Amino acid sequence: MALLTGKLRLLVVAGACLIVAQALGAADAPTENQVQAVFLFNFSRFVEWPPQTFAAPSDPFVIGIVGTDPFGSRLDEAVHNEQINGHALTVRRYRNISELDNCQILFIDRSEIARLGQILSALDHHSTLTVSQADGAAQHGVMIQFATENNRIRLRINVDSARAAGLTISSKLLRPAEIIGADDKVER
Amino acid sequence: MSRSTPIRRTLMNMIFLASGVVLLVTSSAFCAYEFLTFRSSSIQQLQILSRAIASNSTAALAFENAEDAASVLTAFKSDPHIVAAALYDLRGKVFATYPQGLPSDRLPVRPGAGFAFGRSALVGFEPVAEGSKQLGVLYVESDLNAMYSRMQLYGLILALVAALSLSLAYLISRRLQYRLLQPILALADTARAVAERHDYTVRAAPTGAYEFDLFTDTFNQMLTQIQGSEGKLQAQVGRLSLLQQITRATGERQDLPSIFQVVLGSLEENLPIDFGCFLLHDPGAQSLTVAALGRKGSRFGERLSLLPQGVVPIDANGLSRCVAGELVYEPDVSRVSFPFPQRLSGAGLRSVVFAPLIVESQVFGVLVCARGEAEAFSSRECEFLKQLSEHVALASHQARLYGDLQQAYDDLRQSQHTVMQQERLRALGQMASGIAHDINNAISPVSLYTESLLEREPNLSERTRNYLTTIQRAIEDVARTVARMREFYRERDAQLTLERVEINRAVQQVVELTKPRWSDLPQARGAMVDLQMYLADSLPDIMGAEHEIRDALTNLIFNAVDAMPTGGTLAVRTRRATVADGETRVLIEVTDSGVGMDEDTRRRCLEPFYTTKGERGTGLGLAMVYGMIQRHSAELEIDSEPGKGTTVRLNFPAVTSSVVSQPKAKSAAVVKRQLRILLVDDDPLLIKSLQDTLQEDGHLVTATHGGREGIDAFTAASKRGECFDIVVTDLGMPHVDGRKVATSVKGVSPNTPVVLLTGWGQRLIATNDAPAHVDKVLAKPPRLHELRAALAELVA
Repeated sequence: MALLTGKLRLLVVAGACLIVAQALGAADAPTENQVQAVFLFNFSRFVEWPPQTFAAPSDPFVIGIVGTDPFGSRLDEAVHNEQINGHALTVRRYRNISELDNCQILFIDRSEIARLGQILSALDHHSTLTVSQADGAAQHGVMIQFATENNRIRLRINVDSARAAGLTISSKLLRPAEIIGADDKVER
Repeated sequence: MSRSTPIRRTLMNMIFLASGVVLLVTSSAFCAYEFLTFRSSSIQQLQILSRAIASNSTAALAFENAEDAASVLTAFKSDPHIVAAALYDLRGKVFATYPQGLPSDRLPVRPGAGFAFGRSALVGFEPVAEGSKQLGVLYVESDLNAMYSRMQLYGLILALVAALSLSLAYLISRRLQYRLLQPILALADTARAVAERHDYTVRAAPTGAYEFDLFTDTFNQMLTQIQGSEGKLQAQVGRLSLLQQITRATGERQDLPSIFQVVLGSLEENLPIDFGCFLLHDPGAQSLTVAALGRKGSRFGERLSLLPQGVVPIDANGLSRCVAGELVYEPDVSRVSFPFPQRLSGAGLRSVVFAPLIVESQVFGVLVCARGEAEAFSSRECEFLKQLSEHVALASHQARLYGDLQQAYDDLRQSQHTVMQQERLRALGQMASGIAHDINNAISPVSLYTESLLEREPNLSERTRNYLTTIQRAIEDVARTVARMREFYRERDAQLTLERVEINRAVQQVVELTKPRWSDLPQARGAMVDLQMYLADSLPDIMGAEHEIRDALTNLIFNAVDAMPTGGTLAVRTRRATVADGETRVLIEVTDSGVGMDEDTRRRCLEPFYTTKGERGTGLGLAMVYGMIQRHSAELEIDSEPGKGTTVRLNFPAVTSSVVSQPKAKSAAVVKRQLRILLVDDDPLLIKSLQDTLQEDGHLVTATHGGREGIDAFTAASKRGECFDIVVTDLGMPHVDGRKVATSVKGVSPNTPVVLLTGWGQRLIATNDAPAHVDKVLAKPPRLHELRAALAELVA
């Protein structure tokens, strides 16, 4: 009798959990920024940086944001306690271009797109993956651009920029993405 | 396994069974291995595929590109067995499915972990991770058709392999079996041939395989032994049947030569031998006599200089041992230095067996068997010859016994025949004797009166005198003939009374007396016998019994006439001959031109009872002639040739002139005085003639009829004092015979002489068998001069 009672209880708990989870999922649909924050973090896994990127093993893997931070704390939450090849992830927010330093991923907010040339040239000697949600950013030298199509975020990747920066983008990342080359800027 | 399953099928079954089991075990192991490895490899393959897909779908998951994820999942198309696949994100939500649009109830609600075989499918969950970061889970479901089809394929392959293997096994085993079975089957065929045909000459052929050759050799050796045994058995049976055949053949024969011949013939034919002979052994002599030579061996016999009845000396060789009762086998006579073996060797014979013929532990002969080759007799053949020699010895012994028995039987039959003849003659003689008695009585008056007339009648004409003389001679012949009749049965007189015989006269008399036989009887038959008489002049007399000589001549003339049934010439010849020492002999020859005699008849003609005349002849004629010849110290010669005729020659010694001729008729002293004579006889004619003649001599004769009357007369006369001077009585009379008369007379008057007259008189005289009280015996018919002599002798 006691065993039956135990099983029944387990069943009831499982059923309750299922209902709560569905309710949460429906209620908690991720925002565009939220998804982009996760994406930004996910890039770290599909891109290979040259070995000399890190001076010391203890150097953090830095995701930098220049311009207005659209993610808020979400990016911090996403990278919290994450590591890339033994390097702890850190988010740095840059107020202006002069603050730019050695960061591995730099999100360039569409608010800063006007100074894109400056930013890119500032990053010229660094192997920094540049990401932006500004339209046409990829055609203008940003390596990865978030593009929203049918309520979905799509990636546009400028392979040449990445190659010029010494970065190797995984073919897996290239598969679902739209490739923007230097030659077919117009076409894309 | 059935006894009748041929070995070929059995072997095939075994091979099939063995290879089938091996194949089954191997295939089962292989299938089990394949099944197990297939499961793990299926999982592995699915894992690899899933991992690849998962790896490709990381970006899609990471960047939430469901289309891309779906397109990645379409890579599962490459494996038609994957029926369902799905990507779950980290929150456990289905992100993409394969095939696209797969209803979510077809998928697990929540992703699990790991790969496992379900009831009808292989199900697996592969985490999707980029680096160390898990991005989701890939679900894959593969049906088991692959495995099933694989298993089917395996089954098919297995069946094909099994079929192929068994076919190959069949072919190979057939080939191998042929090699294996060929010798066995050949051996079996040989064995069958031997068993069915009893032909032990067949041999199994060697095959080249060691064990089989060993087996075949052993089998062949066995066959050789059996064949040998069979051959020996056959030979033994052959010898046994030969022994039986010989024994039977000898059993059918009773004489030694024929037994020996049949034995040698059989041995030469059937044993066979090259040379065979029988030697007979005389216990006293140191040699053997050749009794029989084999037909085939006779050519050796010539070279051996062994001829029938030839002599072989017993030297210290095998023969002496054989004669001692031992079977001797000389395997090679050329190495034996003794004479007889050397003779055999010289004739081309090498091996010889001497088998003794033993009867009652006496060797009476030797069987010699020889062959041209050395050491040609086996011990069995020696044993056979030994047994055979025992049989032959026995048969020979039987034959001898049979011969002896036959001889004894023949002798007995001959004796019986003789006895019967003698008995017949005795009966005949007795009858003849009775007849003779009567005849003597009957002719007594004739004799007495004739003599009396010739003597006393002075006025007789010459013719009368001649007649009377002839009568007298005839009577004498009758008397002698009658006397001879008894010769048939009574023993001949020991001594013959010999007197001078004038041969020519005797011959003339015989020819005259037998004229009816040689003249009248043949003429009656239409045959003509021409009698020719050649009598020598001045022939000397001989000493002999004239009547016997006349009888002999009579017999010879009768024989001569009988030998000429169709007529011919009968010649009687007398002549004088002088032999070397000067002795003179008188020859009488009786020659006929008749049928003659062959050698056998001539040799046997003198035997008593031998006759060529059948029932007409007694077989005594020539025998009597021969008896006469012997008694007269004469000789008898017979010349005869069949178809040419016969000459019988009697050869007598002549009388030498010095011999004094006995007075022919002794003019005895005649009693001058008158005598009182009592005559006693039962024959009135005799009484009358005696009385007449004696009375004419001047005597006083009282005649009485019968013995009783005679005794009474004598007694009466004695009482009257008129005693008789002499009594003449007959011997044989009814009631009271002459002996009793004599006894009575002597009882009354012992000095009165008694003369006994008898028809048997001559016998009594000859044997001096005069009864008691009889002073003289006179034979009937009484001769007057004899009677007178007796009277003179007794009364004076």
